[in-house]
Amino acid sequence: MRWWRCGASERGAILDNTIESRAYCICFCTNMPSKDQSSAADLTPLSPAVFHILLSLGEGERHGYALKREISLRTGGKLKLGPGVLYGSINRMLELGLIEESDDRPDPHLDDERRRYYRITPHGRKVAQAEAARMRELVRLAAARFGVPKHA
Amino acid sequence: MLDEPFSLRLYRWLLKLYPAGFRENYAEPMEREFREELRESTSAAALGILWIRLVADLAVSVPLQLSREVTQDARHTVRLWGRRPWHTAFAILALAIGIGANTGVFSVVNGLLLRSLPFQDPGRLASLSDNFAPHDSAAQFHEWRRQSTYLADTALFEPFDVNLGGAGEWRRAHVIQASANFFSVLGTQPILGRGFAPGDDVDGTGWGSPGRNAVAVIGYGLWQALFGGDPKALGSTIRIDGTPLTVVGIAPPGFDYPGKAVLWKPAAFARGNNGWEAIARLKPGITWPQARQAFAAEADRLWPNRTPSQKIQSPLRITELRDQLAGPTKNASLALMACVVLILLIACTNVANLLMARTADRATELSIRSALGASRARLSQQLLTECVLLSLAASMAGVFVAFWTTSIAAKVQPAPIASQAYSILDGRVLSFAIAVSVLSGLLFGVLPSFYAGRVHTFEARGSSGNRGSRLVREALVAAQVALTIILLASSLSVGRAFVHLMRINRGFVPNGLVTVNVSLAGTTHQGDGSRLAYFLQALARIRRLPGVQCASATEFLPLYATGFVGGPFQMDGRPAKESSTVIRVLPDYFRTMGGRVLWGREFTDAEIQGNARLAVVNERFASEFGPAANAVGREVTIGRNPPWTIVGVVKGMDYMSDGKITGEKDFNQIFMPSHSPGGFFSTFVARVDGRAEDRLAMIRDAVQSVDPQVPVFGVKTMEQRLDDTLARPRFYRTAVLCFAAFALLLAVIGIYGIVAYAVARRTHEMGVRMALGTTPVRLRVSLLGQGLITIAAGAISGIAGATLSGRLLESLVDGAKAGTATTYAASVLFIAWIAAMGIWVATRPIARLDVVEILRTE
Repeated sequence: MRWWRCGASERGAILDNTIESRAYCICFCTNMPSKDQSSAADLTPLSPAVFHILLSLGEGERHGYALKREISLRTGGKLKLGPGVLYGSINRMLELGLIEESDDRPDPHLDDERRRYYRITPHGRKVAQAEAARMRELVRLAAARFGVPKHA
Repeated sequence: MLDEPFSLRLYRWLLKLYPAGFRENYAEPMEREFREELRESTSAAALGILWIRLVADLAVSVPLQLSREVTQDARHTVRLWGRRPWHTAFAILALAIGIGANTGVFSVVNGLLLRSLPFQDPGRLASLSDNFAPHDSAAQFHEWRRQSTYLADTALFEPFDVNLGGAGEWRRAHVIQASANFFSVLGTQPILGRGFAPGDDVDGTGWGSPGRNAVAVIGYGLWQALFGGDPKALGSTIRIDGTPLTVVGIAPPGFDYPGKAVLWKPAAFARGNNGWEAIARLKPGITWPQARQAFAAEADRLWPNRTPSQKIQSPLRITELRDQLAGPTKNASLALMACVVLILLIACTNVANLLMARTADRATELSIRSALGASRARLSQQLLTECVLLSLAASMAGVFVAFWTTSIAAKVQPAPIASQAYSILDGRVLSFAIAVSVLSGLLFGVLPSFYAGRVHTFEARGSSGNRGSRLVREALVAAQVALTIILLASSLSVGRAFVHLMRINRGFVPNGLVTVNVSLAGTTHQGDGSRLAYFLQALARIRRLPGVQCASATEFLPLYATGFVGGPFQMDGRPAKESSTVIRVLPDYFRTMGGRVLWGREFTDAEIQGNARLAVVNERFASEFGPAANAVGREVTIGRNPPWTIVGVVKGMDYMSDGKITGEKDFNQIFMPSHSPGGFFSTFVARVDGRAEDRLAMIRDAVQSVDPQVPVFGVKTMEQRLDDTLARPRFYRTAVLCFAAFALLLAVIGIYGIVAYAVARRTHEMGVRMALGTTPVRLRVSLLGQGLITIAAGAISGIAGATLSGRLLESLVDGAKAGTATTYAASVLFIAWIAAMGIWVATRPIARLDVVEILRTE
């Protein structure tokens, strides 16, 4: 959670109370790109966990546990995210503005209302694209050098 | 399934390892997922795998999240610091001085009192009073030590300063002659060659007899310096005062006991030599109380004829070697330690006060953050990080203060043996430093975070600080005032003692006096006949130099009292009540030293060269036998020696012993003509025009020109010697004064801070009161009154503390007396005056308050 004074030029300055200035405007900033906002390519290479989370959220909103299961399924059980790593990644991605919390529930009857859902942001999409492009380049290079078998 | 509650509880507990911010956001979903996974893990094996994965996950993610959040908090803290750089610099400086001074002084205490001595089983080693053990001959001593019922073994030793090495390449060195069992008593073995063998110590005078007695164990440093660490040094010859000794062993590195010795040779016992000191090792199974009891019984048996006054003046004692070594500096170090602990406490209360005020100032920030979801834990974590960072920064700065303190202490009060040298790079000192930093961090950090714990969501804005926190802050100020008064009163009595020490009449005039030591031992002049000739020739050359008013020489210079000779002198057959010290001098001595000849005269050239049996006595000796003026012409005697005729009565001079100024400059002194000068403490003295420093080289060259082979050393002005002597008391005075001034500064800033803060918080109330007719001056006076009440509360406990600390001080500084009522009154009035000024300045804004403006904001 970050705060700054409205209109203050210094990003991320923490609200401070001084006796003289009592008027504040407080901005809630989870959906704002933070100071870490940078061009999509700067964030690559992404860690496998982050890339997989982006992949899953690209399909639709998910909560943490669903993300974990989906990733485990997609990787054939090879990537099992522990809760600390999962939520650590989510935390960082929120800060970087790659994903955001969603207030909508896909189906309130189906799911627990207390769960927090996440969705990908446009910035997150760009970063995922940049990562995919980076991987494609790698694959191309590898194919040129070693060839790519049909069934690895 | 049975263990589900336990697994869950354990996991919930483990989640607490995450930092507060992360925990707030994710602990709940994490726990929920854990529950689901737990439900799915039906078998014990599955549960095991789940836990293994979880532990791995925690091990990776906890440090990561922790470092991220702490970095955030730290960045925030640095930003806050940047906004109030003076506050921060002040807090860091105050703590750095507190922590650093504590660490530095602790390194001294550690070196002297805690670190183990470099001997085998040092806790069993004892020091016996000088001359306790029979020492007339080797056989007598060895027989005595073998029959002891409580001492496993005893060794004797006697220190000397000698000319070491050959002609032209001599150096002054501290050497020891010791009984053959010296190394075995200490349990120290040479690293090369051998120690002494039984029978190496013999009867004889001077440097003993050739053969088995003419051997030496040399120190590691000397071995490196003279032989470059070559093992071939064994068997080679080394000369002390011209006597050749064969090197048979090399002592281990760092071994320089006793007193920075560089060479040890087997003893030569001679009847009448009373310079021996003794160390002993207790028999196995004998406790210290038993040893003391046995020692006392033996003392009565060995020395049955000691008079009660002798028993009081020079009691026979057996002490632990460590205590004996630390003796003169132990109390002083402990008292300094107490002093710096006070400083640290003051610094902590001050920083706590500062942080309290700042936390209260930031109440709005904290309460808004709390309203928007930051938990108390998150806010406390932020405040804790601030404290930890503060004490970290202070500790790092404190390292420099500690280094500085340690190096000053090493100069002023060097450790008695090398292995006790003070260092802060010692496990114990470093742990102490860390403990002090952490403790002080807790001390100044706990109050602010306690306060933060009570920030309520919607209360902070406009609330004028709760009463509880104000009370705490006032109590802190009162505590500070109390501690400051303790230091202030102490510094006053130490300062007074020092002024007394400076003003004391020492019986000589130190300025304009040049001193040069020589030693004729081992030179071509060492024969009895040629000694005086050498001295007279050197004196003649000195006197011919431009700017030299007069010159003389003595065997014992004032301020030093090593190797005195003397005894129970009589005047006209009547014994003096106390024994007298003999000081051999050359003509013109009193004139050169600036001493006062009260009656009669001093010796002439002719009398000295003519072997006249004359004496000059000090006033105190003379007045033991009636009016001092009548002493001239009477005779002094000792034993069966022919009498000396008194030709003059002088004011006594100030000598020292054990690094302590005797303060009894009037102990009985008998000056006699020096017919055969050149002993180990022979000193030329010359009174010169202008600055004595400018004449040092000239006079040294004149002495050297007589014979370049004669060692010339100790080329100093008398003022430099006095400075060296007073270095320790001056250090204590400066230290205590600095501490007191620093404490005062802290206290004033603390008081100013609390009042300025109160004024700022209560602006509105003041405005209303002024609107109702109170004048600004009345408001300021009432605030002044409130402040002074706090100070009065502190003063009462401060005086109580100062009374206690005064006792401690008496042992710290020669001549310091516990505070008197005047001292206390002065301290209290001083701090009250300074504080009142601080308060008055702090309340200045009240005079500028604009009532209309204040009321309009309502």
